[in-house]
Amino acid sequence: MGKVFLLSNDDFGMESMLEIFIHETEEMLEDLDNILLESERARSITEENINTIFRITHTIKGSAAMMNFNSISSLAHSVEDVFYILREDPAKLSLVFDSIFDLVFQASDYFKKELEALQSDNYQESDPSEIIAHLEEQAAVIKGETPAAAEPAAAPEEASEQPAGGVPTGEGTLRIHIMFEPDCGMENLRAYMVVGQVQPYCSEIVTVPPHPENDQSLAAEIAKGGFTIICRPKGDPDEVIRVVESAMNVKSYEILADEEPEPEAPEAVAVSDTKASESMPAAPAAAQAAKAPVDTTALTKGVKQSLISVNQGKLDHLMDLVGEIVTAESMVSRNPDLKGLRLDNFTKSIRELRKLTDELQDIVMSIRMVPLQGTFYKMDRIVRDMSKKLGKKAELITEGGDTEVDKTINDAIVDPFMHMVRNSMDHAIEMPEARIAAGKPEVGKVTLAAKNTGGEIFITISDDGAGLDTERIMNKARENGLLTKPESAYSDKEIFNLILLPGFSTNENVTEFSGRGVGMDVVRKNIEQVGGTINISSERGKGTTFTIKIPLTLAIVDGMNIAVGKTIFTLPITAIRQSFKISDPSQIIHNTDGSEMIVLRGECYPVVRLRDVYDIEEGTSDLLEGILIQVDSGDTGYCIFADELLGEYQVVVKPYPIFLNKYDLKNRGLSGCSVLGDGSISLILDVNTLKND
Amino acid sequence: MTTIEKESENLDGLSDRYLLFKIESTTYGLPLALALEILTIQAITRLPCVAPYIKGIVNLRGKVIPVLDIRAKLGLPEREYDDKTCIIVVDIHEMHIGLIVDAVSEVVTVPMDSIIPPPSNSASFVSSVSELETGVVLNLVFDAFFSSDLELARN
Repeated sequence: MGKVFLLSNDDFGMESMLEIFIHETEEMLEDLDNILLESERARSITEENINTIFRITHTIKGSAAMMNFNSISSLAHSVEDVFYILREDPAKLSLVFDSIFDLVFQASDYFKKELEALQSDNYQESDPSEIIAHLEEQAAVIKGETPAAAEPAAAPEEASEQPAGGVPTGEGTLRIHIMFEPDCGMENLRAYMVVGQVQPYCSEIVTVPPHPENDQSLAAEIAKGGFTIICRPKGDPDEVIRVVESAMNVKSYEILADEEPEPEAPEAVAVSDTKASESMPAAPAAAQAAKAPVDTTALTKGVKQSLISVNQGKLDHLMDLVGEIVTAESMVSRNPDLKGLRLDNFTKSIRELRKLTDELQDIVMSIRMVPLQGTFYKMDRIVRDMSKKLGKKAELITEGGDTEVDKTINDAIVDPFMHMVRNSMDHAIEMPEARIAAGKPEVGKVTLAAKNTGGEIFITISDDGAGLDTERIMNKARENGLLTKPESAYSDKEIFNLILLPGFSTNENVTEFSGRGVGMDVVRKNIEQVGGTINISSERGKGTTFTIKIPLTLAIVDGMNIAVGKTIFTLPITAIRQSFKISDPSQIIHNTDGSEMIVLRGECYPVVRLRDVYDIEEGTSDLLEGILIQVDSGDTGYCIFADELLGEYQVVVKPYPIFLNKYDLKNRGLSGCSVLGDGSISLILDVNTLKND
Repeated sequence: MTTIEKESENLDGLSDRYLLFKIESTTYGLPLALALEILTIQAITRLPCVAPYIKGIVNLRGKVIPVLDIRAKLGLPEREYDDKTCIIVVDIHEMHIGLIVDAVSEVVTVPMDSIIPPPSNSASFVSSVSELETGVVLNLVFDAFFSSDLELARN
């Protein structure tokens, strides 16, 4: 909620408020999902987690109400209600365990959908009333089964906020009278926000007037006469006061003397820590003990404050600037004016500068890095949902979730991963009976593992399911006319790779989860778009493993600059196997269709002339004169023919101007461009799309 | 005139100012508010696979912008670039684009009443014609001029 304070800053318009709301709610929902998954697996939920869920839903309710998203707010409210009851008596959870988890998952999905809708141009609230009704039903079940605990369960709202009979009294209570800034508007909601902020620090809290959030008409009243919070601080009352102080739009506040409505004795603030806790009435003692973990969450909150969230646009800009500096540095150090001069001091200074720019670059890169854990958690959710729906039993095992990748790459791989995990669940993992019959453990395993190997990240998605059926793949490929050579010539690996081709899908029946026409070819495309490659290995009856290799970052690549005529291309170093000159024209094999090939160490590689691919008029066409560069592209490789190598450079990748989007350069082997030290531009080659066959 | 009126005057003070440039012997005008800067012709990195009137990309202080030859876009024969050839950098829907023109002539204020609709048989990208002392100016409307490019660029 911290950022909502920004409201008091007049410069922040509704739009950025909305951004903050979306961002924070998304983060909280992620936490929520994690807690739910963890708890569901453990078949129990800790006090701390109940409190966290309570806090999350409460915050969502508050900020959604603030933003006037009433459906979100009311659903959050009913989830909060349920957890309010559970907070009082966690033992009740066992009565409704499964349905509660399902419902809260549904609620979480609803929130996510709404957030997504909010980001589109025309937002329409969808109706959460069905989930709310179910939640209320479950709340009633908890209540109905437990007449003994009827009091807290019967009316969670009352217990939490209504003064009727529940006004905290006695030593240790704090009465704060708050006046809002004139004309800040929506005073009732602002009052409610303050209550929400104070709540974590108080064991009991009531307001005068009660329930400000439910009654618009109270706004005027609060604006005029102010608003009173009566609460019992859990710890230091000063903490509560500080919260009130920092709350937005609060013009002034007054500490009222305990039990006395007259505003006069600010000394009441000076209730000491120990006194406050000692003076707790005996009755809620048990509840208080139960609430102890809340303080820990408050503590973690304190730790979190060393983190700040930054607009990604700013980060991109920073990255651009650093790129500029790297370029400018090489412009200076490789300045043609300096050629042939002996400049000892200058060289020294330049070395120092380079050290600093390298460091700067590393730092900025590290800022953009995010751990894969978040993506992994999402997969966890899919495995859970699908095993329920399909009646299969499976668990997700993740390794190396702390591996970090560039944010852009992380965003780009979420969808392909979802698709692959869905595929594994849908097609690979067998029904429990079939698994037992096959002598496998009843519960299937889907494993996600990531590891960093220097410049690249390896991610494997494997399952212990049925494995790929080569025969069926071949049949399917034949039906769809995807075969390009005699069937007997296909190796297993080549057969597996057929499923990555556009227009291939082994599943005849379209199911809810996968096989909706979007096949593995889309997965491959998405992964290749961020410079990655995908590899498949599979064994019948044992399982399938997809190995994905992606670069750590997209922004800066080590590249070899090569020239063709006047055009300079940059070839990523990672793709280059070797470069060589040929001395004898007979090494080149001419195909009947005019294409050329070369045999290297017993293997045949096609020769791709950049000059011909890109219609460059200048440059040499004599294979003996130019140079061949052998590159790796997926499983196969080929040789690129160019005029000459210009040397190794570190280049900052820039996308092509969007004006040129229609030419789809990315799929023509040109992944981006880069400004070189002398201000000229090189075109960065993508070996995966350069040669399409 | 009140302060507010003055300010709004300043804000759209550019609205009746036009940058004039030449292609062959014809003078064209574009709203000055769209022109970001004028560069002398420089080395252009050729791009493969694009329309022939897209001459390539240039590095404008670290920003890579596409450069289009207006002559080629208009279907006129191309000619060697000389020291009068300029690149006008314009802002079209927040995309920066360089336009190669034969020469940039001047910035003029065109009073509203001297802008007249174009003859019905003229090209669709000429939005209006203005008659100045120096001659007739064809005012370009970029949305129409680049319609084929813009449509797809946005997808």
